[in-house]
Amino acid sequence: MSQEEPLIPDDEEDKRLMALVATGDDDALRLLVHRHHARLVGYLRGEVGSQATAEELAMEVFIRLHRAAARWRPEAKLSTYLIHIAHNLVLNEWRRRGRKPTTALEFAAEPGDTTQQSARRVAELDEAFQRAIAQLPPEQRTAILLVVQQELPYEEIAVIMGVPVSSVKTWIHRARSRLRELLKDFYGNE
Amino acid sequence: MDNPQPSPFEQELAATLSRGRSVAVPGFAERVVGAVRADRRRRTVIRWSSLVASAAACLVAVLTLSSPSEEALNRQTLALVARDESAQLADLFGAASDLSLLSPAVDKASVADMLNTPGS
Repeated sequence: MSQEEPLIPDDEEDKRLMALVATGDDDALRLLVHRHHARLVGYLRGEVGSQATAEELAMEVFIRLHRAAARWRPEAKLSTYLIHIAHNLVLNEWRRRGRKPTTALEFAAEPGDTTQQSARRVAELDEAFQRAIAQLPPEQRTAILLVVQQELPYEEIAVIMGVPVSSVKTWIHRARSRLRELLKDFYGNE
Repeated sequence: MDNPQPSPFEQELAATLSRGRSVAVPGFAERVVGAVRADRRRRTVIRWSSLVASAAACLVAVLTLSSPSEEALNRQTLALVARDESAQLADLFGAASDLSLLSPAVDKASVADMLNTPGS
């Protein structure tokens, strides 16, 4: 699986492509998917803990985007809109499963030029982090994923989650505290 | 004012999560386009099915509303029966059948005996 960065999202280009998608242009849809799918799958994988489920949900996000293309108004960035749809699908997925994911996420440490020992240490830490993140309450996990992984501002996270900015700040603060507590064996009391 | 140096915990959290930030899936765009085309076809079929069902419902409604009432149907039936000559002929034949039913009551032998009896 390639980990290359997608093209830098450009709002104007997204608007132009969405207008074409609304007319049934599949090439425009293909370009939109190419521009946005990698971050979407990354976010969904962080949420549901499975590459296959993340891809299925990302597919559903784009199908819904296509259905809504004619009605879409560029009030927010397209990437925000996509993650908003994805977040709702994640909530549905948890309801469908009747439980929240509590197992450690699938994760494979990236091969690099580090030594075997440090690679093992990185893999251990990653696994511990992923397990700890999976134990967070859903809203805290979503908030911490969006702020740390996706590097979104609080305001955008509030739009995605449909809550006030103050709630987002509270969840992120609680998520950090809970993660420190769960990972105290690695970091002690910082 | 300088930003404080992030703690090892913060650095590791950011590093761990940022590694999964972007997961490019080869061929994903083609899969999406295929799924969208299938979804488009399915929705077209559903839309046409719905239109056909609505049209059929309208047709049934029109036929039902424009049909004569039960009383009118009865009147029409009676008028048809009255005009039907074959039915009248059948009635005559029916009457003849009724008469023939009486014939076995007349005993031919007894009639002959009565006629041949002297003094009768």
